[in-house]
Amino acid sequence: MRLTTLLPALLLAAGVSALQAQTEYYARLGAVGASDLLRDRIINAITVRQSIAPMIVLGGSLPVGPRGYRVGLEATLASGKFHSTETGVDTDLGRIRTTSLLLGLEGPVGHDFRWRLGLGGLRYWPSDDEGIFLSGGTTRFLAGTGVDYRRPVLAKWDLMTSLRYDFHRFTTDALESRGFSQTQGVSRVSLSLGLCRSTR
Amino acid sequence: MIDEFVGVILSGAKDRSRYACEPRASLAPPIRSFASLRMTLTAGLLLLTACSDIATPIRDNFYEWRLIVPAASGTGIDSLTFHWPKDRLPVRVWVEDAANLTQNVPKAIAAWRAAFLYREFEATIVSDSSKADIIVRAGPAPGIPLFSRTRFLSAFAPECVGATDINVSDDHTQLRLPIRIYIDPRSNPDVPGLNDCLALTTTHEFGHALGIFRHSTVATDLMYADPVVPAPSIRDLETAELIYHLEPDLVPVGP
Repeated sequence: MRLTTLLPALLLAAGVSALQAQTEYYARLGAVGASDLLRDRIINAITVRQSIAPMIVLGGSLPVGPRGYRVGLEATLASGKFHSTETGVDTDLGRIRTTSLLLGLEGPVGHDFRWRLGLGGLRYWPSDDEGIFLSGGTTRFLAGTGVDYRRPVLAKWDLMTSLRYDFHRFTTDALESRGFSQTQGVSRVSLSLGLCRSTR
Repeated sequence: MIDEFVGVILSGAKDRSRYACEPRASLAPPIRSFASLRMTLTAGLLLLTACSDIATPIRDNFYEWRLIVPAASGTGIDSLTFHWPKDRLPVRVWVEDAANLTQNVPKAIAAWRAAFLYREFEATIVSDSSKADIIVRAGPAPGIPLFSRTRFLSAFAPECVGATDINVSDDHTQLRLPIRIYIDPRSNPDVPGLNDCLALTTTHEFGHALGIFRHSTVATDLMYADPVVPAPSIRDLETAELIYHLEPDLVPVGP
């Protein structure tokens, strides 16, 4: 009885330990810029856009297969202002935070570069429930791709620079209730720098 | 007449992409091979990119809002539009502590702010009436010559009545502040329906202070002369929204 209990526990512990040994973790800081959140027209053309926002990225990955592929999760948090522009005049619309979670696949490109593809979600957290966020924030599907450049700096640590592009389609409950249909395609590009704990 | 006039202005606002982006069966070729699958995916990606704008609503659900007055020249009529300019925001509102005004005025401000997607209007309560852009008092409105030249009388319910006074300069270029709102509870506080009457009348009068200088002719609008609905209708909201994207004739002056 004791053996049947102990054996799976030992195997599980060994498995977890092996997984831990193969898991890479990273943290980066950077900035993200986005295309227009919204294009509207009330007599004049109006656009809504986020400012370039500081961003923190946390992630981890596990190996899959022998050819250097890995699967991983990457979470980002960005916080910045957003504004509308009408006839060249900007109006501050407050602050907005975005969080994203991407399940991705990555692989080697060559030298110190790796490619990445991912799917996940993006959540908008407005500071005030008003205007286009009158009914609160919104969650959207997200697809992303990118390139990582890693350079060893310590025995177990790499300097990691990442360029990311992601795409989602934006709308809110408030916009839909005001008669907006379909969604706005939003592209985001980010550049970030950080450290990655390597499995070397 | 005005609907036709502004309708012409707004015709440019109709988003043609609403129709251009609708899926069409003819765009989906039969998939015969990996190459054609790849082409289909590429075409889909291109279509996705091409249709990446949201479809804006057609905003033609509004009514006449302008102040119609005899022309400054003496012949004919003049139609005047007003909205609070961005450099005057937030609009400062002084509220008398009577007739539920301290509860109803913030609710009225919130109700009208819902009209705006891009922070076109903001208001804040101030304690000093001498620095207020809008003064809200409880009780009957005084005689017109005292403070204003134009009065909007609204809400003729037995429970309460409202009025908004504005003062436009002789040359029809300035709106002299403050705008004065009067909410008069005509019945005693125990009368059923008084609180509802006070709330909707306060919101109605705020619609005038916002720039809706006419009454709607539709009873389901809050800006109907004798309003019965508790909150701005979509027509009210779209009218207010439109006003804040038109060039105003009147500039607020003072206090």
